[in-house]
Amino acid sequence: MSLTPEIIALLTLDTIFLFFGVIAFFLSFRLALYWNNDASTPLQYSLTKQSYLVATIIKYIFMLKLPLFLFFIYTCDKLSNIIAGAMCASGVVNSVDFGLYLTLFKLFNLYLFGFWLLLHYADMRCEKLPYTRLKFILFVAFSFPLFVEIGLEIAFFVSLNISKIVSCCGTLFSAASSSYISLLFVVDELLWVGLFYGFFAMSLLAFWLKHNVLILFSNAMFLIFAIIALIVFFSPYVYELPTHRCPFCLLQKDYYYVGYLLYTLLFLGTFYGMGGAMLSLISKEKMRFSKLSVGFNTLYVVIISLYPIVYFIRNGVWL
Amino acid sequence: MFFKPNFLLLDYAIRSLMRRFGKSFFIFFILSLLIFVLASVLMIADAIKLELNTTLKTLPQITLQRFIAGKQSDVPLERVEALLDIEGISAVTPRVWGYYYFKPAGVNFSIVGIDAYEEQYSATLSTLTQRFDIKLLEKENGMIIGEGVQKILSENYYTEFFNFITSEGKWQRVHIAGVFHSDLALESNDLIILPKKLAYAIFGMDKSKATDIIVKVANVKEIPTIVQKINERYPDMRAITQDDIRVSYQNIFDYKSGFFLALFSICAFAFFIIIYDKTSGLSSEEKKEIGILKAIGWSSDDILKEKFYESFTLSLSAFFVGITCSLFYVYALQASFLRNLFMGYSALKPSFALPFSVDVSMLILLFLLSVPIYIAATLIPAWRASTLDADEVMR
Repeated sequence: MSLTPEIIALLTLDTIFLFFGVIAFFLSFRLALYWNNDASTPLQYSLTKQSYLVATIIKYIFMLKLPLFLFFIYTCDKLSNIIAGAMCASGVVNSVDFGLYLTLFKLFNLYLFGFWLLLHYADMRCEKLPYTRLKFILFVAFSFPLFVEIGLEIAFFVSLNISKIVSCCGTLFSAASSSYISLLFVVDELLWVGLFYGFFAMSLLAFWLKHNVLILFSNAMFLIFAIIALIVFFSPYVYELPTHRCPFCLLQKDYYYVGYLLYTLLFLGTFYGMGGAMLSLISKEKMRFSKLSVGFNTLYVVIISLYPIVYFIRNGVWL
Repeated sequence: MFFKPNFLLLDYAIRSLMRRFGKSFFIFFILSLLIFVLASVLMIADAIKLELNTTLKTLPQITLQRFIAGKQSDVPLERVEALLDIEGISAVTPRVWGYYYFKPAGVNFSIVGIDAYEEQYSATLSTLTQRFDIKLLEKENGMIIGEGVQKILSENYYTEFFNFITSEGKWQRVHIAGVFHSDLALESNDLIILPKKLAYAIFGMDKSKATDIIVKVANVKEIPTIVQKINERYPDMRAITQDDIRVSYQNIFDYKSGFFLALFSICAFAFFIIIYDKTSGLSSEEKKEIGILKAIGWSSDDILKEKFYESFTLSLSAFFVGITCSLFYVYALQASFLRNLFMGYSALKPSFALPFSVDVSMLILLFLLSVPIYIAATLIPAWRASTLDADEVMR
């Protein structure tokens, strides 16, 4: 393992998250078991107090996790300078067997925690605190992926061997690769692009129909196919190189860090879409976040579509 | 959605900090100091790394060293001609150089032997050969020395010439023909340049050998292939490329600042225990304040928010003060004390100005290492305070 300042920062914050996470886990376990809004016992009284602590801890962890996700990718990007063979974060992430799972877990947890906060927000707005029990049951469930993520992250940095030769994104994201990613390239890329635009259209339709289940479904599918289409179809236009397909190199300086913008838009859009729809399903409240979701998603689609179009106008050929 | 800034609450938080000026200022001062030290160390490391990376470009593309039994030894000169056969190599230069230990001052001089008729491998050397007449040096047994060397020698009363002691124990008298200044002081302060003939004599080296070999490659992208070819032909030669050196610089500085950070974290931990303690112990005044707030209708959530504003304002301002001070200290005062941590010690330590370099990523790193950790330390005390009951504390 190598202790660069960035890794130490990440590990320090992980320790803090673990510490608070354990506290929040035990408290929410108690809250989930004994919470009774109608009771006026001393137990309920102290539980009410503790619920504030858990909510504060979760807010704190989430608020930090957002920038830390980007910081993690940035750290991997920086490490790629000193690891032989790696040219961007993907090489570093894949240098450890479970690196990809760690990244996915990080993303997954952001969605979970974000959703929890949406629920908390809805709960606090209502005087009767109708979802308090639900949200603490949910947090007991959500804390497991959090602990897994922290464990994976510590294991990731411990087993990261900077003298090992790793694969570069050019081999990881190509049809020749033996991994499951290569399966994506077997299918015609136009199918992926079609699905991407199709689900985007479906999410617009769902917004117009105000159909929550459809919004949830279309946004989830949109997220998945957006990433696949980005790897298979759109990324070569960003790099202006037909063979270069990588979802990580977008984050580098050579492409004006455009990836940070694109991913933020995509994640925000799909998060508001899915979280908002889920919240309306539970609470039957008015849809408040769908507009934001449509806005961010549309912005993402416009920006990513401009790359091939501008390329075609300038060069007269498709890649 | 989650976070709408509430300026009235912010105003209240700042006034509340001001009301307890002594306590707040103590925390603010220590936190700024910690951030200042941390930021300075990281900035110095970055600046020195930048300086080294600029000199890196002037270094040879490939340096070939010969290793016998794991020890570096001299390279036979016939290999120079043989290396030229490899396609893609545009120039091969044997170098004769080494260190000369000058006992009275306890320093090492770097001695580089040059030849009037060969192409110079570094920009510093070629400007020197243009400015000074190398052929004249050979004729008159002269040398050109760096400023640092001149200072050391004149302290030992050598102003006109210097007597080298050769490996056979004889005296080799060499005139000081000139003194040079260089922009990149790192590589030239302890440098002595003299004709190859003299260098061989001083080191007692075999004249059919060289210290190492410099290879110039026409196309930079071919460097790995050429290194491979050289390794196949001469397994006892080790090739060091510019890229290898860059990676090792990065590793060394990451290691050094990482080491410092690891020590620093202990110090920070102690500080946060103090913070925890300070913020937990509420005075009766503060308790009364919270009681009144609750009595006039504030909820626990509002008080938590207010406490968050307090700690955020405090830590963010400490962060800015710390960063500003360390910018001033590192770049205006040239980090007069702390830079020794990275420079090592040597009597002929090169003096150079730290080049200005601040990137956003370092500021983000510093932010992540200070503000969230401070807020974490105040989280539980703030919650404790916020859940106090109005009737209990006002009684």
